[in-house]
Amino acid sequence: MSRRVAIVGAGPSGCFVAQALLKARPELQVDVLDRLPVPYGLVRYGVAADHQGTKAITRQFSRLFERQGARFFGNVAIGRDLTLEALREAYDAVVIATGLAADRRLGVPGDDLAGVYGAGRITRALYEHPDAEPLPPLGPRPLIVGNGNVAIDLLRLLAKTPGELDGSDLGPGPTAWLAGSGIEEITILGRSPASAARFDAVMLKELVRLGGVSISVEDLGTAETEEGTRTLEALAALRGHGTGARRIRFVFARRPLAVEGAGHVTGLLCAAPDGGEERFAATSILTAIGFDGETATAQSGSAVRMAPGLYGAGWFARGPRGTIPDNRADAQALASLILADLDAMPATGQRGELLACLPGVVTYDGWTRIDAAETATPPPGRCRAKIADRAAMLSLAAGGDQKESH
Amino acid sequence: MKIAVLYGTETGNAEMLAEDLAAELEGDHEVVCKNLSAVDPAGFDAATFYILVSSTYGDGDLPASAQPFAKAVEAKAPDLSGIHFAIFGLGDSEYHDTFNGGGEKLAALMTARGAVQVGERVTHDASGPDMAEDLAFPWARAVVETAANLVGEDA
Repeated sequence: MSRRVAIVGAGPSGCFVAQALLKARPELQVDVLDRLPVPYGLVRYGVAADHQGTKAITRQFSRLFERQGARFFGNVAIGRDLTLEALREAYDAVVIATGLAADRRLGVPGDDLAGVYGAGRITRALYEHPDAEPLPPLGPRPLIVGNGNVAIDLLRLLAKTPGELDGSDLGPGPTAWLAGSGIEEITILGRSPASAARFDAVMLKELVRLGGVSISVEDLGTAETEEGTRTLEALAALRGHGTGARRIRFVFARRPLAVEGAGHVTGLLCAAPDGGEERFAATSILTAIGFDGETATAQSGSAVRMAPGLYGAGWFARGPRGTIPDNRADAQALASLILADLDAMPATGQRGELLACLPGVVTYDGWTRIDAAETATPPPGRCRAKIADRAAMLSLAAGGDQKESH
Repeated sequence: MKIAVLYGTETGNAEMLAEDLAAELEGDHEVVCKNLSAVDPAGFDAATFYILVSSTYGDGDLPASAQPFAKAVEAKAPDLSGIHFAIFGLGDSEYHDTFNGGGEKLAALMTARGAVQVGERVTHDASGPDMAEDLAFPWARAVVETAANLVGEDA
């Protein structure tokens, strides 16, 4: 009988592992689980609402389920609905691709004050993740700490005029929250010098299209690498951009020392490059300095075997670094390792179905019903109206296959 | 006609389109589909029509799987005269104005070595309203028709 592989997590890394496995061995049975009723993880809840082109990779993933024979089992949580041991018992290989979702904390005094929020918390709420906390008021002067693309995503969304969000899938709640934010100035502050900032130059260039802002860039400095030169060129092109009312201020080479405020954030105290201290006033602080959580091993890598038949993929395996294409390359390497292991494994006997009989499971057909409902009549200027409520998702998904999930 | 669909990909979107194109043309032609990462620039054949599909990565750059090919073309400087190709690009106008840069660079690489481009270079915009295959299929049928009279002629 054909080999079975279960992949825990239907985000891009999990889907790319399934894709690579089935491309090499179409006869494999590949089941992709997610604790949410809907697939695609980071692509749905982490890629910015105004980056629909990036989200187009879901067309590859829908093909995975529609033509390559992978099965989707949504609303299945390890530890709640079944144990990892039971899953490993029922499958020849189990891949953990659950990502890393927890915001890394600043790690300075005051980083737990009211008004300090992780970027993940804010973006999950903006992109209507069912488990998101509500969007908090940011006040007129939010300060973003971080020099990566997540920081830029946040900055761009906070800076956009309502019209600049046309074509996105930003929901009505987040849209109203942004429109009513009353933001006057956004400071984006990084610990490293400008030349070492991890922004992709192309993400910086995108900011030139913002119509409602005026941008200042301080402490540009010089670069010694080709990549650093690109970043500086892109930052230099932004300097002085626009005459809009909303001010954007890039600040580099400031090491956060303490979040200041009595009960609520009033500012960030930093070590300045001249050796002194410098205070940045802020009505809220958004930290975009990376993600944390449980990972596969101490020494992470691209193709990780944690135990016989148990593997790690994506950010769970490699840590919170690397883009979607990086993780695709890793997924292909992992698929090769799994296939070699499967070939060396003795044959397994007949085994029953484990996932299909779990109560409340959402199949791929169930997801297509949710997807159809979300894309049928989006509001003006939007390409999708996401359903954020888990119960509503489940009820839509159940629409046609009540019999399957009695 | 012998057709080779060669793709340069980063996220897999160009690979998927290339496979779709190959499947679309398979009924009437002898078609192979290959990743550019596995193509030897010295192995081009004048009796084959080449359809290149390339995405764009970063700031108008070639995608990862096309980069070893580009380096090899530069290093080996093969004579590609008599080789006919058409090229379809993928990009995302959301990010920048160089969203069709991957296809543009690949086309320039080929013509610099004497290869002849057939038809217009068309670029699909991932942030636009069209599906890539809706643009690519009619385009491919047109370039294949044009190429039928050219490929192998002076081989």
